[in-house]
Amino acid sequence: MNEFLAALPTGLLNGLVSGLIYVAIAIGLTIIFGTLRLVNFTHGAFYAIGAYAGLVAAKSLGFWWAFIVAPIVVAGIAVILDRLLLRYFYSKDVTAQILVTFGLALVAEESLRNIFGAQTQRYPTPEAINGSVSFLGITYPEYRLLFAAGVIVLVVAVWLFIERTSYGLIVRAGVRDRIMVQLLGGNIRLASTIVFALGAGIAGFVGAAASPIYSVDPNTGFTFLIPSFVVIVVGGLGSFWGAVIAGILIGELQSLTTIIYAPAANVIIYIAMALVLLFRPQGLLGESEVIRG
Amino acid sequence: MQTKRSIIAPAKFVRPTTAARTAHTARFIAIALAALIVFPFLFKLIGGYSDLAAQILLTGVAAAGFNLLLGYTGILSYGQAAFYGGGGYIAAIVLARLTPNIWEAAILAVLGMALLSFIIGSLVVRLYGIYFALLTVASGQMVFFIVEQWRDVTGGDDGFQSIPTPFLAFGPAHIDLTTKLPSLPLGPLGDLSDVNYWYPLAALVALGVMLLVRTLVASQYGEVLGAIRENEDRSTFVGYDPRTYKLAAFTIAGALAGLSGALRAAHDGSVALGTLSIEQSGQFVIYTVIGGVQTILGPFIGTGLIMYLESVLSGNGYWRLIEGVIFVVVIVALPGGILGKSTRARFGFLRALGVKKNGA
Repeated sequence: MNEFLAALPTGLLNGLVSGLIYVAIAIGLTIIFGTLRLVNFTHGAFYAIGAYAGLVAAKSLGFWWAFIVAPIVVAGIAVILDRLLLRYFYSKDVTAQILVTFGLALVAEESLRNIFGAQTQRYPTPEAINGSVSFLGITYPEYRLLFAAGVIVLVVAVWLFIERTSYGLIVRAGVRDRIMVQLLGGNIRLASTIVFALGAGIAGFVGAAASPIYSVDPNTGFTFLIPSFVVIVVGGLGSFWGAVIAGILIGELQSLTTIIYAPAANVIIYIAMALVLLFRPQGLLGESEVIRG
Repeated sequence: MQTKRSIIAPAKFVRPTTAARTAHTARFIAIALAALIVFPFLFKLIGGYSDLAAQILLTGVAAAGFNLLLGYTGILSYGQAAFYGGGGYIAAIVLARLTPNIWEAAILAVLGMALLSFIIGSLVVRLYGIYFALLTVASGQMVFFIVEQWRDVTGGDDGFQSIPTPFLAFGPAHIDLTTKLPSLPLGPLGDLSDVNYWYPLAALVALGVMLLVRTLVASQYGEVLGAIRENEDRSTFVGYDPRTYKLAAFTIAGALAGLSGALRAAHDGSVALGTLSIEQSGQFVIYTVIGGVQTILGPFIGTGLIMYLESVLSGNGYWRLIEGVIFVVVIVALPGGILGKSTRARFGFLRALGVKKNGA
């Protein structure tokens, strides 16, 4: 018990950091689902592509360029995919959407493996952010704190975009009733593309930003994809704050399980999801009607 | 809420007469048997190792079960590996600890996985779409975790190695399945003794599973599954309980995956932890979609095509990429798969080869 208490503060911080990664991937997933009604299994690949694009930028242009290049590259790829292929799947059933985006994710993962190799790669982090800070009796890496602060700012910015801008209005209305938005003259097509690019860009940014913490390998996409889906289901499909709260809860749950019994850390989130789905199928903050696939 | 179109076109159903059905079944069995007899010797011409034919048919059994879910019922499970790998582990434990009799191992694996899929199924069939898919992922991951942690029995990460060679009890005779068939030169197709007794066993199991699925989907039960796939609410309104029907399909699919995994484990002599992984579940999705959902032969054709290409291309680092590209191209260009209706509409010559509705 004492060991647990000693590990608790660091564990909680680790849980917050990994939870924030889930949050950032999941808000992209959830706004894409909410607006486009697209279940996007390619989203994990967007994270991985961002990680590699950032790695290339960090090595060639300098570390901080990763955070600019990664989201732009990923958003660009996402727009191309969306216009060429995925938009034809918006109106298809969930099964077809899962299949095609799962296929694209496989292609993306294998392309990364062929281009960059299967081995794990590390980001060249500058000395300035390699230090640690001590507070409340624990020592914690500076970069992780910086990362957590960055993601929190990002989440608030995305929320402001959705709540305060006219595109955000179309996004929110589209979540409620897509056809009505079109009838009222909202340009839902442009809004769709923007939302898709935004969601993908966030995933790409976080891929670059989280990789100095977790390192990069071609499997990363799938590693984060499934937990992120767990997060949006636990939070409630299409719910922004649901994804934020569930993301942090799932991150903490995993991190605390790691302290108690590390091998169970992966499976615990599925148990949590199964319990939520069985007893509160609409998710923590979801609307009471369960969306049928 | 807007209406969703299914990728799978609704099937026109005309109930044939009994005599017509019997004739149809006889023709199906004749064509399938002829194909199964030639199949293992084709690899002499196109490359691939000698055990590949048996492995393809045994793996295809799990894909055929998965097709009952995705193709005939319209529900996408990403957890079939739990039952495939689970069947493999049960067979391995039975063969290593109780008896080297392949029947007993296979039957226990099938019963065990039918029970497990019934339990998991009764929790998951009430959910739809993404929720259903994620819960099947979750149950698969839990089974993976249990097997991984239970090292004393399962071998954990190392998998279950060195399963004793099983025998096939046939009356008083005990056939060692690894014995070669008698020698008989077949010209360019090699020699009859290129295959061992595993192949006839695999072929009979595959044929039996094809006939089982064929009978199921042509029955009233199969019609209700189709009604659920096309419009679940409407099937409820006319008085069916979709959950019961879906649970039955889920249990049959789980039992078939268990059979497939058990025979693969006995055939290969080992089971890897990876047989329980989400990647393995994805593999059944890929096999079935490429071969053709809602067809009897499609899952076997898809399994065969991918496993064959893997065996000849896996030395090349691009194999998984090629597989992914084939999968995406099939979904986009041939949504019914190689044997699907849209393919047949595009490539009418396949009809001349006897490929008809439901693959018969």
